[in-house]
Amino acid sequence: MKYAWWPGCVARGATPELYMSTVAVLDKLGIEYEEMHDFSCTGAGVLQERNQKLGDTLNVRNFAIAEKLGLPIMTICSTCQGVMAQAHQRVLSNAGYLKEINQVLAEEGLEYRGTTVIKHLLWILVEELGVEGLKKHFTRDLSCLSVAPFYGCYLIRPSNALGLDKVPIRETSLEKVIEATGARVIDFAGKKACCGFPILLINQENSLKMVASHTGTAKDGGADAMVTPCPLCHLNLDGYQSKAAKKNRPDGHIDLPIIHLPQLVGLAMGIEPRMLGFQKHIVSAKDLLETYRAKAGAIAR
Amino acid sequence: MFEHDVLIIGAGLAGMRAAVEAVNRGANAAVITKVHPVRSHSNAAQGGINAALTDRGDDWTDHALETVRGSDYLADQDAVEVMCSEAGAALIELEHMGVVFSRDEHGKLGTRRFGGQKAARTFFVGAITGQAILHVLYEQLIKANVRVYEEWFVTSLIVEDGVCRGAVTLDIRTGELHTIRAKAVINCAGGAGRVYEPSTNALICTGDGYALAYRAGAPLMDMEMVQYHPTTLASNGVLISEAARGEGGYLLNSKGDRFMLRYAPEYKELASRDVVSRSEQTEINEGRGIDGTVLLDVRHLGRKVVEEKLGYLQEVAHDFMGIDLAEQPIPVRPGMHYMMGGIKTDINGATSVPGLYAAGEVANVSVHGGNRLGANSLLDTVVFGRRSALAAIEYGKSAGAGSRNEDLLASEKKRIQALLDRPKGLRSASVRRELAETMHSHVAVFRDQQGMERAAAKVKELKRAYGKVAVDDKGKVFNTDLIFALELRNVIDTAEAICASALTRKESRGAHYRVDMKKRDDANWLKHILVRQSAADGDPKIDTAPVTITRWQPVERKY
Amino acid sequence: MQATVRIRRFNPEQPANNGKFQEFKLDVPDSTTVLDALIKVREDVDGTLGVRCSCRASICGSCGMRVNGQAKLACKTKIADVSRHGEPITVEPMGNMPVVKDLITDMKVFWDKLRQVEPYLQPEGPAPKGEYIASDESMNHLVGVMNCIMCGACVSDCTVLAVDKNFIAPAALAKAYRFVADPRDSRTSQRLGVLNESGGVWDCVRCMYCVEVCPKGVAPMERIMKMRDLAMEAGYNNTPGARHTESFASSVKSDGLLNETKLAIDSTGIFNIPGQLAQAPVAVRALLRGKLPPLFGHKIKARKQIKRVFEKVEGQE
Repeated sequence: MKYAWWPGCVARGATPELYMSTVAVLDKLGIEYEEMHDFSCTGAGVLQERNQKLGDTLNVRNFAIAEKLGLPIMTICSTCQGVMAQAHQRVLSNAGYLKEINQVLAEEGLEYRGTTVIKHLLWILVEELGVEGLKKHFTRDLSCLSVAPFYGCYLIRPSNALGLDKVPIRETSLEKVIEATGARVIDFAGKKACCGFPILLINQENSLKMVASHTGTAKDGGADAMVTPCPLCHLNLDGYQSKAAKKNRPDGHIDLPIIHLPQLVGLAMGIEPRMLGFQKHIVSAKDLLETYRAKAGAIAR
Repeated sequence: MFEHDVLIIGAGLAGMRAAVEAVNRGANAAVITKVHPVRSHSNAAQGGINAALTDRGDDWTDHALETVRGSDYLADQDAVEVMCSEAGAALIELEHMGVVFSRDEHGKLGTRRFGGQKAARTFFVGAITGQAILHVLYEQLIKANVRVYEEWFVTSLIVEDGVCRGAVTLDIRTGELHTIRAKAVINCAGGAGRVYEPSTNALICTGDGYALAYRAGAPLMDMEMVQYHPTTLASNGVLISEAARGEGGYLLNSKGDRFMLRYAPEYKELASRDVVSRSEQTEINEGRGIDGTVLLDVRHLGRKVVEEKLGYLQEVAHDFMGIDLAEQPIPVRPGMHYMMGGIKTDINGATSVPGLYAAGEVANVSVHGGNRLGANSLLDTVVFGRRSALAAIEYGKSAGAGSRNEDLLASEKKRIQALLDRPKGLRSASVRRELAETMHSHVAVFRDQQGMERAAAKVKELKRAYGKVAVDDKGKVFNTDLIFALELRNVIDTAEAICASALTRKESRGAHYRVDMKKRDDANWLKHILVRQSAADGDPKIDTAPVTITRWQPVERKY
Repeated sequence: MQATVRIRRFNPEQPANNGKFQEFKLDVPDSTTVLDALIKVREDVDGTLGVRCSCRASICGSCGMRVNGQAKLACKTKIADVSRHGEPITVEPMGNMPVVKDLITDMKVFWDKLRQVEPYLQPEGPAPKGEYIASDESMNHLVGVMNCIMCGACVSDCTVLAVDKNFIAPAALAKAYRFVADPRDSRTSQRLGVLNESGGVWDCVRCMYCVEVCPKGVAPMERIMKMRDLAMEAGYNNTPGARHTESFASSVKSDGLLNETKLAIDSTGIFNIPGQLAQAPVAVRALLRGKLPPLFGHKIKARKQIKRVFEKVEGQE
């Protein structure tokens, strides 16, 4: 199965480690992909709030490009996945609306017929490879680590647009991947809540409260790291964690490394941490890697 | 102790309409309600509100005639004239308040047809008309800054020297009892669906208003007139609005026949509710039903109409039966729905007890007589809610001060403490269920002497057993167990009045259909039946009152 | 079927068990709802259980509560749907509100926020003799929002309200939209102005919890988004939120992609020196780790196509 891979805007901007680790993992798993350089930003929900039809048109354009190539789309960002899924649901349930959008796209030589499948890498791993299939690629035992899952709103709501009712395994997909690596899952109340990124630049105080609440609770619950399938969540939970901690924690500290999904998977697969981009995090993953090294043998740097 | 000019019991459509009117006229009015106003059962009314808009060329006397016919000539025609002539203004008032009524292609208020009427004069909001109006009245309540005793329960009315002076109330949140004195009380406490099982009504419809008035000495009129709605879900009694038929839906028996063409050749599925319910029950009893139901079919209306006009019905059908109304017919059967009977009032809501007014379902003016037309209840509530407020304010000006004693409060405290202190006993829920199932078996669509006597005897037995009811919860904070036990007493009293009245009427009229006396007997029975409590907790005393006839001489009712 | 229901108890008069879950095992029909089960507990097993309920038909809004951690209307939730393999379900009171007893919460915060948005029609001038003229389309549009039964589920699970009590929250904002979108209301601009301020439409974090949990399809978040759009159209452009949206859109229009650095600068406001300086530490840290996107950043090759799509679709309105 070959995928039309859409890395998203942020993976090639503020979270280059996501891009790096994805490539490393896909290559090692032998998953074929073609990077979609012609795709536009999905709009992240922000564009949609200004003009939903505009956002939908841009996304349908992306779908049409992939459809022309006969490839399913792979996303590595909860937000991309969610925005695309919602757009897809809207156009598939309203033939007249799709027609109007296709009229605009016709001028660009594109037409969408409605057949593209859009899946997040997380779902591809759990549904296509399956937990057992994934385990076969794991060479490192991460059972000395405790990892907290953080899904990112757009990957789990609204549930009907994301097919959670039709494919129930998606609801616990992140925990399943963590378990497959051998690591202990740290369950905590905020795992399906919001990281605060959308209001970071609008109401930073509230945004930081959310960061502090989720990372703090997970840390207090024994997590060595938090894993997230969304780079926007990563930006907030990682980039603004120390500011959030200073403002909201009595001792001013949280220090919870936030890792991307492919970084967790890559680590378990034996890929070098340097190739997975851990050194690019704001909240250092150094302690995490040293904990692992101390408990489970040497890792080449 | 709290004091007001006007105390309104119940925050449904009638109660809130009265409150908004009273406050806007400068009265010190307050509302007491055992649930938050928007939880009132008015929100379950689905289909619409009737009004004849004269500037469209509609004729309110036509609406009035159909109402009188629908009532099987038991309605007081002066009251019907008041309601129907004021309907247009009442409707426009609601629209001005902001209700989002459906529109026609010119942007004017749109209509649908409803039961018992040839003309389409039912104004609606999808299939959520009750909720839509209730919420707008709540908005007006907020705007007028009306004082609301929210989640307070009235245990008894205060009557001193035959005059109503307020009520003793229980603050459900704290368990504390309080006296609220008022120059006038308007009883808008709604219906009594819980006297029957199943019923379309909410769990809160426990006949509180009837029982409070009954125990305060006010007569209840035509209590035997209990409306069974033709289209309710067999599984849980939930209502499927008449709007489904109003938009053109069919009723089918097991053979796929539109049987209403036989029973009501002219009005067909939109005959009056008692006629349709009896027709359905006959089909079922004669073996042409499907597991005790008939089928309601709206497929031919097309998906667009079903979604736009009957959206809430689709939700109900999907949630409770897994049915898509646009694709499949839905099994329905008659279910207890509404009380035409109630506290006797005049056209201004005054009862025979000075200081006590009533409006809405709990009242019986009488505009609905032996059977209520669909969409007339919403109209009834706003017209008479407003009128009683005006009358109550006027009365209050010369009402004089009552005493300020707390005697009733003290005795209520004792009564309630005794209930709480009872260590073991009967569970309220099982007593109610027994009573309600009995009422459904014997005082429902088809009645006979033996059945009604059986019901009356059961009610009497359970009334005695009430003294043995105990509660699990002995606390003060939000003790719903206690509230249910108090409500149970109201259910029993209401049932007693219904049975006494039903046994008295020796004819069939409207919803009161006796298989042993099938004919309507105007010569002997064109009159109202009044039930009064003879002494505190004594046996019911029966009286009659004449029916007011203005323009329409009673004739046989044919659909 | 056998259903196992774990209910979180709370009784201010008997605090020893507060916060503890009590388990009830019941034999019930397959189509039983959570509310059916709770009523059965209350009627037959434990009369002290506190739960608000009335209509059983998802129209009164009384029975909002959290089932398996998410707000739902109990009468509309089939046990079989939330317990696919017979596993126990947890039932708790709604969130973001103080608990009065068991599953009964104090909804004062809900009603107070509703009052805050002046939730009544405010038409202008003397009323016409008959009805206000309004299109069926406009009234039908409002029915979608009028479907709100004020159950509190959206407020219960709102992630912003959980960290900021000042937020007007989804239900009141959806109700505000109902008036903003009502052609008969004359205070649209003033309403949008107030909602544009602190605690209003720009504080929504777009987590979609309210859309997910609403039992009536009101989709409060979508109404909030629509009001953001209407606020910008009405000229309320000088908020970080409005600038954020504009910057995002212009970035995608010209480059086909989002430029995070530009977005951060624009949203804060170019002339907002203190604001810009406050961002510096994070920016520096990012720069040092090679993750600060250049200001004149990445563009996709097909950006002219994107620009054309923008112009075409925006031009249609």
